[in-house]
Amino acid sequence: MEKEKINLFFDAMVIGGGIAGGESALNLANNGYKVIIVEKDLSIGGKMIMLSKVFPTLDCSACITTPKVSEISRHNNITIFTESDVNSVVKMGERHFRAEITRRPRYVVAEDCTGCQKCEEACPVIVKDQYQYNLIGRKAAFIPFSIASPKIAAIDIENCTLCGACEKACPSNCIDFTQKALDYVIDIKSVVVATGFKLFDPLKIERYGFGKFKNVLTSMQMERQLAPTRPFNTILRPSDGKVPDKIAYVLCAGSRDDSEGNPICSQICCMYSIKQAQLLMGALPMADITIYYIDIRAFGKGYDEFYEQAKGMGVSFIKGKIGKITKGERGDLTLRYEDVSTGKIKEARHDMVVLSVGVLANDEAVPMFRSNTLLTDPLNYIRQEDPIISPAKTSIEGVFVSGTASGPMDIPDSILSAGAAASQATAYLKRIN
Amino acid sequence: MEKRIGVYICACGGNISDYVDIEKVKESITGENAVLLAKTTMFACGDANQKDMDSDIRKNDLNGIVVASCSPKLHLSTFRAVSERAGLNKYNYVHANIREQASWAHSDDKPGATEKAILLVKAAIAKARHASSLEPIKIKSKKSVAVIGAGIAGIKAAQALSAMGDKVYLIEKESKIGGNLLNINRVNPESETGEEIVKRLSKEIENEENITLLTGHRITSGSGNIGDFVLTLKGNNNPGEDNFPEKEINVGSVLVATGFESYSPLTGEYGYGQLPGVVTLAQFNKLLKGQNGMSFVAFGKEVKSVAFIYCVGSREIKGDNKYCSRYCCSAAIQSALDLSERFPDSDIYHLTRGVRSYGKQELLYKEANRRGDLFIQFPDKEPPVIEEKDDKIIIKVKDILSGKRELEAETDIVVLVTGMVPVQDDNTGSIFKLPRGRDKFYNEIHMKLRPVETAIDGVTIAGACQGPKNASESVNSALAAAAKSHSLVSTGELELEPIVAYVDEDKCTWCDECSKACPFNAISVIEMFQKSIARINKSTCKGCGMCLPVCPTDAIELISFTNKEIEDMIDVLSQ
Ligand SMILES: Cc1cc2nc3c(=O)[nH]c(=O)nc-3n(C[C@H](O)[C@H](O)[C@H](O)COP(=O)(O)OP(=O)(O)OC[C@H]3O[C@@H](n4cnc5c(N)ncnc54)[C@H](O)[C@@H]3O)c2cc1C
Ligand code: SF4
Ligand code: SF4
Ligand code: SF4
Ligand code: SF4
Repeated sequence: MEKEKINLFFDAMVIGGGIAGGESALNLANNGYKVIIVEKDLSIGGKMIMLSKVFPTLDCSACITTPKVSEISRHNNITIFTESDVNSVVKMGERHFRAEITRRPRYVVAEDCTGCQKCEEACPVIVKDQYQYNLIGRKAAFIPFSIASPKIAAIDIENCTLCGACEKACPSNCIDFTQKALDYVIDIKSVVVATGFKLFDPLKIERYGFGKFKNVLTSMQMERQLAPTRPFNTILRPSDGKVPDKIAYVLCAGSRDDSEGNPICSQICCMYSIKQAQLLMGALPMADITIYYIDIRAFGKGYDEFYEQAKGMGVSFIKGKIGKITKGERGDLTLRYEDVSTGKIKEARHDMVVLSVGVLANDEAVPMFRSNTLLTDPLNYIRQEDPIISPAKTSIEGVFVSGTASGPMDIPDSILSAGAAASQATAYLKRIN
Repeated sequence: MEKRIGVYICACGGNISDYVDIEKVKESITGENAVLLAKTTMFACGDANQKDMDSDIRKNDLNGIVVASCSPKLHLSTFRAVSERAGLNKYNYVHANIREQASWAHSDDKPGATEKAILLVKAAIAKARHASSLEPIKIKSKKSVAVIGAGIAGIKAAQALSAMGDKVYLIEKESKIGGNLLNINRVNPESETGEEIVKRLSKEIENEENITLLTGHRITSGSGNIGDFVLTLKGNNNPGEDNFPEKEINVGSVLVATGFESYSPLTGEYGYGQLPGVVTLAQFNKLLKGQNGMSFVAFGKEVKSVAFIYCVGSREIKGDNKYCSRYCCSAAIQSALDLSERFPDSDIYHLTRGVRSYGKQELLYKEANRRGDLFIQFPDKEPPVIEEKDDKIIIKVKDILSGKRELEAETDIVVLVTGMVPVQDDNTGSIFKLPRGRDKFYNEIHMKLRPVETAIDGVTIAGACQGPKNASESVNSALAAAAKSHSLVSTGELELEPIVAYVDEDKCTWCDECSKACPFNAISVIEMFQKSIARINKSTCKGCGMCLPVCPTDAIELISFTNKEIEDMIDVLSQ
C-alpha cells in the first residue's frame, strides 16, 4: 500500500535550525512570510544552545539563545519540524520548489508530553549522552537537555529494550511505540540552507591521544563543563573526578593542517579558547592555564582587547605547535612542543588537555537538490556564487545560504549572514518577474 | 482594582543561584501584600517557564507580574510578551534585575547578595502594585529610508531596500559612489578590482525606480524620530561655492553606512613622511597599479624588495587604537601576491605581529609562503626600526620566529599596513547622537541580539562604521541592516512606548527649565487656559526623566514612574 503524503505550502523552507537558520526564519516571518524550519535533531538551537558563555561579551549563551528559540517556536508564521530529514528538493520553476520531507517518529506524542521526566527516571537503559558530548550518560527514554525546544521526551529506539517501563511511568500516556515516520510533500517558493558546520574529529590525530587518555577533552566537552546546564557542578577531569589545576589548550587541532585535509583556519577556536580560559580562571582561581598557539586570531570587534584581558588575568600564551601528547603519572599528560620563541623542543606536564578542535564543512544539503546542482567550494562549504556583493547567493537561484554552511564564522558573523540571507530571500520572493 | 501579583525568581542556570539564595528570596516575599504566588525557576526566559507563566496568569487571573532575573536590557521585552500572550496588558509587568545588580556585583558576599536581591524584588513588587494597563502610542511611519554613505555597504543596503519595495534616498558626500573600494586593486577572495565591483554595483542600482541617488550631498541637520525623520541636505558639488539649495527629505528610518578612513601614520612613524620609499598600503597599491613597464620603478629607482610592516595604527601598545583592524593582514598579503605576480623576482618581507588570515583567507597566507615571501614576527613591544643608509632603507627587527634573533634587511620600499579608523569629520554621528564604542566606531545595541540597531530608535548601522570589516562582511551587515530598517517602515505604522512624561497644567508656570533639560527637544510651549504651559510631544519624548527634577513646581510626572511609585520603592529599599 502506498503511504499517503501530506502536502503543505510555505513561502520559505529553512534547512537547519541553528542560530543562523533561526535568525533567517525569524527575519522572514517578521516580514510576513510563512516559513518552515526543518531540523534533523530533536531540538532547535544548533551548537550555540550548548555553549557556556560567548566571547567577547561573556553573555551567557543560554540566556541569549533560549529567548530567541522561544520566539521562533511561538511565531505564528513559523512551523518547525524537528527530528526530520529533507529527502529531496526539486525546482519546479521560478519561486516554486517541491521538497519531500520525512518526520522520524519520536515515539512520544508531542502534544501530550509535559516534560515531567518520569519516563527518564523509569528507563533502565543507560547510554552515552551526545548532548553532553559523552561526558555523562542518559537514558533511552530522555529529554535531550534542559533547555531543549521542544522540551519533550523522545525514545532512542536503537537502544531501547522495549521493556515498557516508561510507558507505565508516563502520567499523560504519551509514549506510543506504534508511531511511524510521516512523509510530507512541501511546496515552497524559496530555500535557505543553514546546515551549519561539523566539528573536527580528534580521533584522527592519534598523537594527541584523544580517546586513549581520558583527560584529553575537546573544547566542546569543556564548553559543556562550563555551561550553566553543566553535567557536574564544577570542572572535573574525567579519569578520577579531580579538580584540575594545570590545564593546557592545544589550538589549531585539525585546522591549518594540510595533512588533515583542512588547510584553512577555523576562525573561532582562538577566541573560544581564550574565553574558556577566562571562565576557568573564574571557576578555578588557583588553576594555571596555558594556551599553545600558532597565531592568535583575535580580529573582531573587542576581540584583541579580550585577548589582552586574558593575558592580564594571568593566562599563559606559548607560541608553539604540539608534537605529541603522552601519558604521565596519575592521569597527567606530557606535552611535547617546539617553543618558537627559543627554537627549543620542550616538554610540559598538565593534568588536563583541551583540544581546540576546528570547524569542518557540513555538505549534507548538497545531495538533497535533485534538479539543479548545489555547488560547493573546494573545502565542501556551500559555494557563494558572488561572495562580495551577494553573499547569500548560491548556484541555484532562489536557494540562499546562511551562517556557517558557507564557511567558518562566529556567532555575530553568523547572525549578520543570516540577516543577509533573509533580506536576499525577501527580495527574491517580492520580485515579480 | 485589587492587585494579584505573580513573582518568578530565576536561577539563571547558576548565574544567579550560585550567589543568591533564591529559595530564601522566594520565602521572604511569600505573603507580601498582593503577592498571590511566588516561584523559582532554572531559566525564566526558557520556553518551559514561559508556558508556566502563561497558564498561571490565566488560571489565577493575575494582574501584576514580576520576574527577578537578568538585566531588563536583555529580557524586559521577553516577559512583557509573555504577559501579553496570556491576555494581560504588558505594562503590568515589572522587571527586577538580581543578576547584574546582585549576584554578579556581589559574588564575594553571598548573604549580602541575597539580602540585596530580596530588597530589589520587594521594590519591584511595590512598583507592581501601582502597575496599570497602558496603550502603545501609534504613529504613522514614512515608507522610506535614508541611506547615508554610498560605499559598498550603503549601495547594497539601498539595493536591498529597493528590492524589498521601500523608497530609498542614497546620500553620498563625494561626487561618485564606491567609497574606499575604489582604491583596492584586487578584492579577495575574487579576482575583481574594486572599480569593477563598483561598476557592477552601480548597474544594480541604476535602474531602480525606488532609489534616489544624491551624490555630492551631505546632511546638515536631522530631526524627528523613528517613523518620521526630517533630514536637511546640502549639495557640495563645487568646492568653495555654496550655490546649492538646501533640500529636505522625510524618511521613516535612517541607515548609516559612512564607512571608515585609513589610519594616517604620524610623521616619523617608521620614517613616514621623512624617508622616500615609506608609503601606506593604499599608496603602495596605487604605485603598483600605475606600473606598466617590465620592471617596478618608483622613487627614481628600480624596486627589487618590499617590506610590509603590519598593525600600523592598530593594536597599539601606547596609542588609543587598541583594536585589530581585521582586514589588513589579508589585504597586505593580497597586495604582496599582486606584486609577486607582476614582478616575480621581488624580495618580499612581511613584518607581522602574528598573521591573522582567519578562515579561508588562510589560503592566501599559504600561497604567499609558497611563493617564498619571508614572514617575520616582531615582539609587540619592540617594533622594527627604519633607517636610511646610502639611498637604501635599512630595517632592523627582532624575529620571534627565529628565537628573537636580530635581523637586518635592505629594502627599497616599506609599506605601512595601516588599519581602519572611524571617519574623522563624520557629522552623522553627532546629528543623530549615535553612541560610540571603546574603539570610537558606532556601537550596536547588542552584538548578537541586535547587531545592526543603535540606541537611537529607527537608526541602523552597516559596514565598517560599526567596526573594521572587509567588503564581504560589510555587505552581510548592510543586508542585515536593510532587513531591519525595512521591517520598521514596511507596514507604515509603528508602536511606541507609552512611558512618556506629562504636564500638570495647573501646576506648570512655564519657567522653561524643562525644555532646556530635555535632550530630545520634546518640550515646547503652548497657550492654554490664558497662560503659557509646557507641552510634551509624545512621539519624541523618550521617557528619560531629565525634565522631572528640574521642574520647580513638580508639574511633570513620568507615566509608570510617578513620584508615588518611586517613593514606595525607596521606602522598601530603605527598610
Ligand atoms: C567549542 C565552541 C565554542 C564556541 N564559542 C563561541 C563563542 O563564545 N562565541 C561565538 O561567537 N561563537 C562561538 N562558537 C561558534 C558558534 O558555535 C557558531 O558560530 C554558531 O553556532 C554557528 O551557527 P550555525 O547556525 O551556522 O550552525 P550550527 O549551530 O551548526 O547549526 C546548524 C543546524 O542545522 C542542523 N542541520 C545540520 N544538517 C542538517 C540537515 N541535513 N537537515 C536538517 N538540519 C540539519 C543542525 O542540527 C543544527 O541545528 C563556538 C563553537 C564551538 C565549537
Ligand atoms: S521501553 Fe525503552 S525507553 Fe522505555 S523504559 Fe524501557 S528501555 Fe527505556
Ligand atoms: S582560529 Fe586560531 S586556533 Fe582556530 S584554526 Fe585559526 S589560528 Fe587555529
Ligand atoms: S588584521 Fe593583521 S595587520 Fe591588521 S591590525 Fe589585525 S593583526 Fe594587525
Ligand atoms: S522625559 Fe526626557 S525626553 Fe521626555 S520630555 Fe522629559 S526630558 Fe524630554
